[in-house]
Amino acid sequence: MSRSVWKGPFVDAYVLKKAEKSRESGRSEVIKIWSRRSTILPQFVGLTFGVYNGHKHIPVNVSEDMIGQKFGEYAPTRTYYGHAADKKAKRK
Amino acid sequence: MTAPDRICVGAIVGSFGVRGEVRLKSFCADPEAIADYAPLYTEEGRGFDIRLTRAVKGGFAAELTGVSSKEAADALRGVKLYADRARLPSLPDDEFYHTDLINLLVVDTGGAEIGRVRAVHNHGASDLLEIHGPGLKEPLLLPFTRAAVPTVDIAAGRIVADPPEGLID
Repeated sequence: MSRSVWKGPFVDAYVLKKAEKSRESGRSEVIKIWSRRSTILPQFVGLTFGVYNGHKHIPVNVSEDMIGQKFGEYAPTRTYYGHAADKKAKRK
Repeated sequence: MTAPDRICVGAIVGSFGVRGEVRLKSFCADPEAIADYAPLYTEEGRGFDIRLTRAVKGGFAAELTGVSSKEAADALRGVKLYADRARLPSLPDDEFYHTDLINLLVVDTGGAEIGRVRAVHNHGASDLLEIHGPGLKEPLLLPFTRAAVPTVDIAAGRIVADPPEGLID
């Protein structure tokens, strides 16, 4: 069952505080968070969060299409090294 | 030893049927693209042309030139297949093949060495460069953005990185 709409999205309060502080400072920094369960809100777009995966903080650049997802979805807890083959990386 | 201008694009995982077809596992982003990079070579330099005949569980069934019996196909089990780097199509600006980025030297904006790129990950947000270096306690994951990686010089084998605050402990 999905979450009731009247409750609004869940975000740990400390995540909101840290994001606000970082936005005010205007510096390029990684905001370290442990809250994988928090929802990505529109005010997080453009910020970089370091999402804890149980071992280290994985940098996650928040973009518009990530709104509504949870932070944990972008920081996998297991590492897989595949073959490079013809895979491409795009610098954004 | 494989020449550095060849990249591993797949592997033969066994034979398929009794007519000399092989079961092929593709490592390409689009698995079927492996056929576009033919001829493929083994580590010893033996070359094959390749024709994918059908999709099977875990890969493709394929016909290789010079392999016409099940015994010959069985003998190739476990062989990795390499393609010439030159067969990969050229990419637009700001797009790079992982194989070109891996092993590049990473320096900071002051010119001090940080380490070398070991792998490129993408967990859904943006690409991340995994950097290993002597001065790093654990691998550094650097977002592959213009802000964090202002310069990528493949020819010089060098990346200039400007890691955001808090990334390096």
